Amino acid sequence: MTLQLRAINKRFGERQVLHQLDLDVANGECVALLGASGCGKSTALRLIAGLDHPDQGSIRINGAEMVDVPAERRRVGMVFQSYALFPHLNVWDNLELGLRMRGGSAATRDERIRGVLEVLQLSGQARQRPSQLSGGQRQRVALARALLRDPLVYLLDEPMSNLDAQLREDLRPQLRRLMIGGEQPVVYVTHDQQEAMALADRIAVMREGRIEQIGTPRELYLQPASTYVAQFIGRPQMNLLPARDGVITGIRPDDLRLDPAGSPCTILSREWFGANQMLLVRCDRGELRLVCPGETAIGAEPRISWPSTCEHRFDAVSGRRLPSD
Amino acid sequence: MTSGLMTRRSLWIALLLVWSLAPMLWQLLSSFTTADALVNDQLSFWSRWTLNNYRDLLSTDPPFWRYLLNSSLVASLTTLLTLMLAIPAAYGLAKLPQRLKGILRTAVVGAALFPYVLLFLALLELARTFSLGNNLIAIAIPYSALSMPLALLLLTAAFEALPNDLEDAAKLEGLSLWQRLRWVLLPLIAPASASTAILVFLFAWNEYPVALTWLSRSDLLTLPVAMARIAGSSTYSVPYGTYAAATVLGAIPLLVLVLVFQRQIVSGLTNGAIKG
Repeated sequence: MTLQLRAINKRFGERQVLHQLDLDVANGECVALLGASGCGKSTALRLIAGLDHPDQGSIRINGAEMVDVPAERRRVGMVFQSYALFPHLNVWDNLELGLRMRGGSAATRDERIRGVLEVLQLSGQARQRPSQLSGGQRQRVALARALLRDPLVYLLDEPMSNLDAQLREDLRPQLRRLMIGGEQPVVYVTHDQQEAMALADRIAVMREGRIEQIGTPRELYLQPASTYVAQFIGRPQMNLLPARDGVITGIRPDDLRLDPAGSPCTILSREWFGANQMLLVRCDRGELRLVCPGETAIGAEPRISWPSTCEHRFDAVSGRRLPSD
Repeated sequence: MTSGLMTRRSLWIALLLVWSLAPMLWQLLSSFTTADALVNDQLSFWSRWTLNNYRDLLSTDPPFWRYLLNSSLVASLTTLLTLMLAIPAAYGLAKLPQRLKGILRTAVVGAALFPYVLLFLALLELARTFSLGNNLIAIAIPYSALSMPLALLLLTAAFEALPNDLEDAAKLEGLSLWQRLRWVLLPLIAPASASTAILVFLFAWNEYPVALTWLSRSDLLTLPVAMARIAGSSTYSVPYGTYAAATVLGAIPLLVLVLVFQRQIVSGLTNGAIKG
């Protein structure tokens, strides 16, 4: 199964939300749409689901044109940021409603729901209303509902942004086991680069309705196509040095190192995380973030340097990456 | 200090209760009091009370319960018709683009504020032209029309208060428009529907000018008209006791209704207050 978007345009009133968007997601592939809020990533997802209609362009699932197929018949499994569980129904009825409306025998329904509840460790909550569940449990019910849809495509709209960091880490393996890497293409919308890097096979960084760069997490990290992508991927953010001769130089904080032969600098602040620490330093090229192992002792007059091979060079005007020479 | 605040608050609540309940209690007492005792405070306590007011009321021709029945029928039909039309209309209204919705809402508010008494002559003409007079089913039509603006406003607000994601989720689950309405949206706006139903029912129950002009056969009168007839039945005396008894009987169905739907009404009235 594949998902194919071609030349999608969408405008809301005066605002062009998507410009000529192209996207291919292969069988079992997970593509993350990553970007700041308002970049069009959620709109793209709603277009695939059929909840909004594109002004132009084509959306194909397994080669079949979907633009004129109503959302009710598209067979997509979507997990909403708000979970969108039906508040008047208990967990079991939430899961059963769609199955019942789509037909099928009561016995198979029961069996499937019981199975999914088991897998997601929700068997004990079957008779509870969504309001009685914790955030993580609601999220799992939303996953269960999408799983029971037998979808051709999974769409996940910031499914974990309402959960705390600990819970997110716990849920990631579950998500990967149940949805990602199956037969279906998965489109995962998020503004959290760490989540995207952890879960996605490829990441599409979006900006103002366009895909700025699409590639594997590794490609995006090692060869960011623009300053925007460079700052979006990798934490702490890449250092961008002020332009010189029309070129912005970028250096990852991990590529900077304390070096007695380097240029002198002063330390502005220090955050210690245990395994590593982040220093904010000022040197002749400006303020830089530097990450080094946690036990590194900082001298009274630190000096820093970086290997020139680690430099990323961008055009100062367009922000695009310059070919390395 | 907290307890002092509480006592003060309970005092205010008690005052409010007296203010709103005392007239009803007065009416209830009057309905069991003999005509003599109502104007003469010299009578002994035990000779004041009677059930005659009720007996008189129920032994007239047609008996009083006939009007109760008429009013119940008219009010129920009106409520049903109004909800059947207003729920789909409110759903449609809630889905309209913002600008169009604004214009329509202004129009609906205008209609809701319009003093409908000004319409009753026109309505009478309609009743004549289409021979809808003296028909308890037909009178539900103007009643529904007159209740429609309020019902639309309340139900549209209820639909708008629902998160869009819920209907989107139902769509993706494969539910058709009617399935979504039936299984997701209607249960969620049930409190608003219940409070709307009560308000519409009350309006139809209390309505006077249209009933006065559309209904003339004595066995088809609704409660307000019938009660006005009791009050005006004699030129020389006002039958206070019978009148009070009629009021009490007329209030009972409403009381039952409110008791049954108490929870829905309260949650419907506070619906917009806390957006969940």
